[in-house]
Amino acid sequence: MYQPIEAIIEDVKQETSSIKTFILRPKSNFSFQTGQFIELTVPGLGEAPFTPSSDPAIKDRLDVTIMNVGTVTSALHGMGKGLKVGIRGPFGKGYPLDNFKGKDVLIVGGGVGLAPLRSLLYSLFSDINKFNKVVLRYGARTPDDIVYKELIPEWAKKDKVDIATTVDMGNPSWTGNVGLVTTILKEAPVDLNNAAVIVCGPPIMMKFVTLKLIELGFKPADIYLSMEKNMSCGLGKCGHCRIGKYHACKDGPVFSYEQLKDIYDIWD
Amino acid sequence: METYFLEDNNIIEFYARVAKEYELYVPTRAPSSLKVKCEHSFILPAQDYLLKKFKDIDKKEIVFNGYRPIEPARSFFTRPKEEICEYFGRNENPPAEKPAAICGLKNCDLFSLKIQDFIFLGGDEPDRFYKARRENALIIAGDCPAFKESCFCRAFDIDPFVTEGFDFNLAPITGGYIIDVASDKARKLMPSLKSLLSSASSSQIGARELNRESVVKHLDEHLSYHKIPKKETLQKIVLGGYNSQIWTDEMRTCVECGGCIFMCDTCHCFLLYDEPNSKRKRVWDGCLYKNFMKVAGGANPLRMRYMRLRNRYLKKFDFFISNIGFQACCGCGRCIDVCPGRIDIRRILRRLHEEHKGAQNVPAH
Repeated sequence: MYQPIEAIIEDVKQETSSIKTFILRPKSNFSFQTGQFIELTVPGLGEAPFTPSSDPAIKDRLDVTIMNVGTVTSALHGMGKGLKVGIRGPFGKGYPLDNFKGKDVLIVGGGVGLAPLRSLLYSLFSDINKFNKVVLRYGARTPDDIVYKELIPEWAKKDKVDIATTVDMGNPSWTGNVGLVTTILKEAPVDLNNAAVIVCGPPIMMKFVTLKLIELGFKPADIYLSMEKNMSCGLGKCGHCRIGKYHACKDGPVFSYEQLKDIYDIWD
Repeated sequence: METYFLEDNNIIEFYARVAKEYELYVPTRAPSSLKVKCEHSFILPAQDYLLKKFKDIDKKEIVFNGYRPIEPARSFFTRPKEEICEYFGRNENPPAEKPAAICGLKNCDLFSLKIQDFIFLGGDEPDRFYKARRENALIIAGDCPAFKESCFCRAFDIDPFVTEGFDFNLAPITGGYIIDVASDKARKLMPSLKSLLSSASSSQIGARELNRESVVKHLDEHLSYHKIPKKETLQKIVLGGYNSQIWTDEMRTCVECGGCIFMCDTCHCFLLYDEPNSKRKRVWDGCLYKNFMKVAGGANPLRMRYMRLRNRYLKKFDFFISNIGFQACCGCGRCIDVCPGRIDIRRILRRLHEEHKGAQNVPAH
């Protein structure tokens, strides 16, 4: 339960100056549900939690998109093809796809927060007839910080899919929207009364997106948040990721805002 | 449950026979010449008890402990530091250990083991290390014929004698001990123990009841001074006091030593860390440490000291009450004894309660 299985880094793709996607091949097949997370070990250094960004239908490969921010992630960024890492999991409760059926699914992502949402998008695309539509609103700091640059236009071509991207700060070659992601939510073609909204991004973005969604009239029970906490054991035992009466690793990391709204300081 | 009488001069032999099957830990005295005069003018003992391996000590060192030992009960089931696995190598299995028999645990300790069980045996997957040790262990509990100044079990309606969760129980009376045999594990040892035991007379059992009543009475009197809020109010006052100044006030003398975490009977948090040789270890960890909840991006929900103290109380009196219906505090007082800053959980709860009552008495505008 605390012992990882071996996985080989098959490829590394540079997404932005600080974000890479690692394509991992586990020694044995590894399944997860979209939104569940894994603990990724850099041998001899330690492990950190990540939500895979690949299609959960793929069992022999696993993509993890990682920003270089801490000890484990900076070591990972120094690792290349052929090296060995460890994976443990999957842990927690993923996105409740059944609750999204027959609804307008609005996905709001910020920065590297699009990583878990990519796996969610693949799950939705593979069963697209069960959902009314899929609307993605994605914000990044600058055009260079956008991840999956070549995938987003592909997704936008799909039936029943509507995508808009915005950046906090543009550059001379950027012709798209400039402004925080909260500014492009109002126009999203989503029926308030039959919607499921999934939010993933940095805490400050999740906070203001959630408040904006409430202001627009979305119900707390229809808003799903991927909480970023210091998950370690993954099993609700080590205590590092408590939020109110929950352990994010076991009861989350995906929570409805209804579950969290009465807990103090959830965005800290 | 069967009840017997064990004569004083047979107790070492009783231990010796248990020790044939188990790694037996027995109470010894950790001497102190101090006495504590409490605010209620009781003169209370300040000495402590340590549990030591029976096989390692001079049998003259063995005593019957009047109250709980220094070490928390959980230290027999999760180690302060231990190797969990070596990745990509040897499998993750608990080490082969002779099962432990722990003599000297009290009712506060057994209450706390319910918390540890919920965490380590419950959830999606039980912890293999804890499970192996817990299931194999023999618990020889004891009544508390005395109490320390810091003992406050009765404030939360926990009695200083056991009612469940033990294999044997020893209750001292004149000339020996009343022994309860409460589990199949204990009964299995009976063939080798029976010759040491006689049947307990009703007057002997009556003596035990009198002792119990007397300790309860004195402890209640001692606790009446502290005005510790009732367990039914704990969740309300801790949540209600979320923004209270009390947390900051009380943390002024904290030196962040972590003593309260490590001596706590109900704390369970741990840290997994890897060594360069790919060995994964587990060490006890706790929320009074600054980086306990910090994430790689830099966010730290426990960045200020008052947040850490508050978090400890939210965990004990909100998280656990919401999840299992009772608080994660057994009133053992170990955190009070260990704290060099004299931070006292009884005082904090009393202050929260008083502030809560005060707030409710303010007339609405």
